[in-house]
Amino acid sequence: MVKIVLTLIPFIWIIGCVPFINQVKPLVLGLPLLAFWPVAGIPVTFICLYLLYGIVQKEEHDDKEAGGTK
Amino acid sequence: MSNEVAAIIVISVFVIGATIIGMIPGLRKTLSLEEWAVGGRSFGRTLNWFILAGEIYTAFAFLGASGWAYARGGPTFYILGYCTLAYVVGFYVLPKISPIGRRHGLVTQPDFVEHLYESRSLGILTACVGVAFMLPYLQLQLTGLGIIIETCTYGAVTRTQAMLIAFTLVATFVYLSGLKGVATTAVVKDIVMILAVGFFGLYLPYHFFGGVGNMFEALDAAKPGFLALPGGTKNLDVSWVMSTLVLTSLGFYMWPHLTANSFSAKDPDVLRHNAVYLPFYQICMLFPMLVGFTALLVITPALKVPDMSFMTIVQTVFPGWVLGMVGGAGALACMIPAADLLLSTSMLFTRNILRPAVGRDLAPGTQAQIARVVVLLLTATALALAIYAPSMLVNLLLTGYSGVTQFFPMIVLGLFWKRATKIAAFCGLLVGEAIVFYLILAKLDPLAIWGLNLNAGFVALAVNMAVFVAVSLLTSTDATVSRKVRAIEG
Repeated sequence: MVKIVLTLIPFIWIIGCVPFINQVKPLVLGLPLLAFWPVAGIPVTFICLYLLYGIVQKEEHDDKEAGGTK
Repeated sequence: MSNEVAAIIVISVFVIGATIIGMIPGLRKTLSLEEWAVGGRSFGRTLNWFILAGEIYTAFAFLGASGWAYARGGPTFYILGYCTLAYVVGFYVLPKISPIGRRHGLVTQPDFVEHLYESRSLGILTACVGVAFMLPYLQLQLTGLGIIIETCTYGAVTRTQAMLIAFTLVATFVYLSGLKGVATTAVVKDIVMILAVGFFGLYLPYHFFGGVGNMFEALDAAKPGFLALPGGTKNLDVSWVMSTLVLTSLGFYMWPHLTANSFSAKDPDVLRHNAVYLPFYQICMLFPMLVGFTALLVITPALKVPDMSFMTIVQTVFPGWVLGMVGGAGALACMIPAADLLLSTSMLFTRNILRPAVGRDLAPGTQAQIARVVVLLLTATALALAIYAPSMLVNLLLTGYSGVTQFFPMIVLGLFWKRATKIAAFCGLLVGEAIVFYLILAKLDPLAIWGLNLNAGFVALAVNMAVFVAVSLLTSTDATVSRKVRAIEG
């Protein structure tokens, strides 16, 4: 469940929000809102992937442990 | 020294230098076909990161993004989003593909499809489609290279001559060194290019307007609405951007050469780890756009070829040797991805079309030899396309995406969904490609439907996906499911 949410967040941020950010003003960090939004999506995606990476690694580690004790 | 001479000298140093670096691995020893094509499957994190990143920041990023910013405005911002999402897709898909490739000695994407569905004919079909849609991508690199050299020589060398010279060099180093040559030169190119693009993207708005924010204020005042959707176009609106983002983010790793590159990773963790950090690279896509927007405000008279905006503004503001350096970095940004594309396309043709057509296994030596000859033929074809059917860079890329994304249901659902069947893969792919061909040739891209303007490739993908799922459900049996499980896990 956590994995699904973390996977969907970047898509909702970058694709799902387009109808709501289609405007030039306000300029954020000098960029039109329409451009700033996907740029802000980069750190958002990084955080999601970073957490996902941790989860997947733990899963693989647990799998190996389980395999070893059989 | 005149500007022309300085620019030409600097750009020659870059291009020839890169060719020599690229040739070294091939000259040191004779490479086997596996070493030539997938680098002996020995690339660690750093090298693999550079190959993946190097693929993305091509002539398209450099010239195409600035060209679209110049001509289209708001719709260009889709480019800021799609790679980021593509890495999320890659995070799941690549680590699954890579170990299967390793266990079964797969080299190309059609090899993989053939293995997944135990069908040689599906492999052949995949290869044909792959070759067809990699040609526009190759053409993109060639056109970009032509633009760069034409501007750098202040028009002394024509576009066609420039493309001929540079591609002889690319073909040479691909011929000799294969993927190792691509990787070593990619490192050099990426560093130079990030520095160049970052510098100009920030400096030019500052030079003319005192900052990026001021530049956008000025542009918004001069052309109200240009920076939102649909910007300078009639129909590239919100629905177009959303459908294009879906298409390009899902389609990114469906490029045959990107699948093939995942085979070069040492283990799946390398690919997963890279996916986490690759999104940051995407920020570099912003800088060429800043250049394009600045060019729109300051260059008069208006440019006939918007893709030339980056090079033209640098030529206007800076002396010849700076232009030469930008041109050099840009030339590498065209040549290296072109080399990688050529390599993958020639492998598709030799391994997956020619070999089955001949009907018997060719000796590995002969195969490697043929692959290298095919490199030359493909270069010539792309060159002919670039000369006789010129098109704007971003349009070329989107055409390619529409085609290769049709692999998505077959490859990704095929990997994760055990009921996927061979017949469904055939049906989905054929239907998807038929729609792509029809819509693009009938000039119905984007497709106006229900008050929306949808990217043609997205429409085709949606139908393809529906067909794939429906046919899979109808044709899957216990036997197909257990064969599938063996193909994925065995």
